[in-house]
Amino acid sequence: MSKRPQDSDVDFIQALAEMLRANDLTEIEVNREYGDADSLTVRVARQIQHAAPVLAAPAPAAAPAAHAAAAASAASTPPPALDPTEDPGVVPSPMVGTAYLQPEPEAPPFVKVGDAVTEGQTILIIEAMKTMNQIPAPRAGRVKRILVEDGSPVEFGAPLIILE
Amino acid sequence: MFKKILIANRGEIALRIHRACKEMGIATVAVHSTADAHAMHVRMADESVCIGPPPATQSYLSVPNIISACEITGAEAIHPGYGFLSENAAFVQIVEDHGLTFIGPTSEHIRLMGDKITAKETMRDLGVPCVPGSDGGVPTLAAAQRVAGEVGFPLIVKATAGGGGRGMKLARGPEDLAQAFQTARSEAKAAFGNDEVYLERYLGRPRHIEIQVFGDGKGHAVHLGERDCSLQRRHQKVFEEAPSPVIDAATRARIGKICAEAVARINYAGAGTIEFLYEDGEFFFIEMNTRLQVEHPVTEAIYDVDIVQEQIRVAAGLPMSFTQDDLVPAGHAIECRINAERLPQFTPSPGRIRTYYAPGGLGVRMDSAIYDGYVIPPYYDSLIGKLIVHARTRDLALARLRRALSELIIDGVDNTMPLFHALLDEPDLQSGRYDIHWLEKWLARES
Repeated sequence: MSKRPQDSDVDFIQALAEMLRANDLTEIEVNREYGDADSLTVRVARQIQHAAPVLAAPAPAAAPAAHAAAAASAASTPPPALDPTEDPGVVPSPMVGTAYLQPEPEAPPFVKVGDAVTEGQTILIIEAMKTMNQIPAPRAGRVKRILVEDGSPVEFGAPLIILE
Repeated sequence: MFKKILIANRGEIALRIHRACKEMGIATVAVHSTADAHAMHVRMADESVCIGPPPATQSYLSVPNIISACEITGAEAIHPGYGFLSENAAFVQIVEDHGLTFIGPTSEHIRLMGDKITAKETMRDLGVPCVPGSDGGVPTLAAAQRVAGEVGFPLIVKATAGGGGRGMKLARGPEDLAQAFQTARSEAKAAFGNDEVYLERYLGRPRHIEIQVFGDGKGHAVHLGERDCSLQRRHQKVFEEAPSPVIDAATRARIGKICAEAVARINYAGAGTIEFLYEDGEFFFIEMNTRLQVEHPVTEAIYDVDIVQEQIRVAAGLPMSFTQDDLVPAGHAIECRINAERLPQFTPSPGRIRTYYAPGGLGVRMDSAIYDGYVIPPYYDSLIGKLIVHARTRDLALARLRRALSELIIDGVDNTMPLFHALLDEPDLQSGRYDIHWLEKWLARES
């Protein structure tokens, strides 16, 4: 015999709360569609002492595909407080390749956090097919964060830096 | 054998290639545009790389981003699928220049068959029967009129850089020739950047019969029989079957041998399809496709082979898994191409699939990358699935197709399933009595 709908909802919310606790998250929001015009949106949140990353919950359907190592290399740096691709100041990669933060191995990097850049100024290079492509700042601003590690692979649209 | 293959395509064929790789223990890299971030093959592949925004020219046709994706993932070989870069000789050259393997024939053979005039000359020299026509390009109207006197009417003016049904103008009689010639040239210039045209006799009621060939690149090649793809709308195939209802074993052996020997003689590597028009017992070569075809599953069904795995084997330098004597067809297979298009006008109909249920059971194969909740992007072609059935006889295959179609559910987007329900009730389809004009005549009557 199937449960009453409210029992299933309560179980679901409890499962989310447990997921929150077990994974040390502060907030989860999920929207589930049960049919036409029948959906449930749940947001569970808690206060904890130390800063923790807020991640979007995976969709109930199949797990999202693993992306190229760009995502992995970003995760190896201190976890961001916000999803960088949603930051309005993000500069996404216009191409696929390997990102380098300086013109040559021993040279100083093109930009550092805190630098002011002008529109068109080279912020990093992406190597593809044995050619080095200079990536220009799309607008003037201040470098708030650098999201790629030197020598890491990037895909089209991967977040490179955040410009304030 | 390769350890990792990059799949330079999308949709159902990308999933097909992924499956073949997985069975061989080869890791897969899916490349995709931002519009395809949630595609099924992207979900299933071992790795994925976003290679551009939605437009194909900036993503699936972006040679630098695709090569670069190989570099950053360590993929050693690229399977191009069909369409996109699969017959782009320049791309093959670049792939080779970067020390990667292109899973397909050489750039030289792609170039040879990509030019319809040189393809015809090559095939004629190799003993493959061709449509009567001009010997090469026809540069002026005067030359066209001279050739037309020999070839006879009705005839078609065809763009040499065309193919796949594009860049063709019909001239029923001598009075139509000038206009057909001029418009074919100007349209060819606009569409392909090349206004060279040639002439061919127009056949009244031909069938489209194509021969699947396969070569190992070292002078050995086999044929895997024919497919009948006569049911077409605007030169796009919608329904294919193997064997053809009108080809017997002796005819198959004869034309198959000619085709296999022709590609063996040029050391062709990989899969290829030689397309003919067939009328009154005669074959007339029209073009060769130097790649995997959409309708390859019907051949796989009757010969019990995996053509994609064979492509990978041969590209890795291994011999083919079969000899001509091993290839004995069994039964009958039919494929329906299901498009996200609204009938009766076949208007492209992208959108969100609410419910998808694939048919199953004995002899049923559904090649599709759609799923519940999948959003069909509007940027690419409208093929969303291929339903293939295999049974011991043609009648049993038709019954199986009817049954499988009745189980298939694609809810939420308009699609062409109703077309096949209606076609299965047609006596001409049941008897196999159709030619390349049949479907358009039937559609005109039905609307």
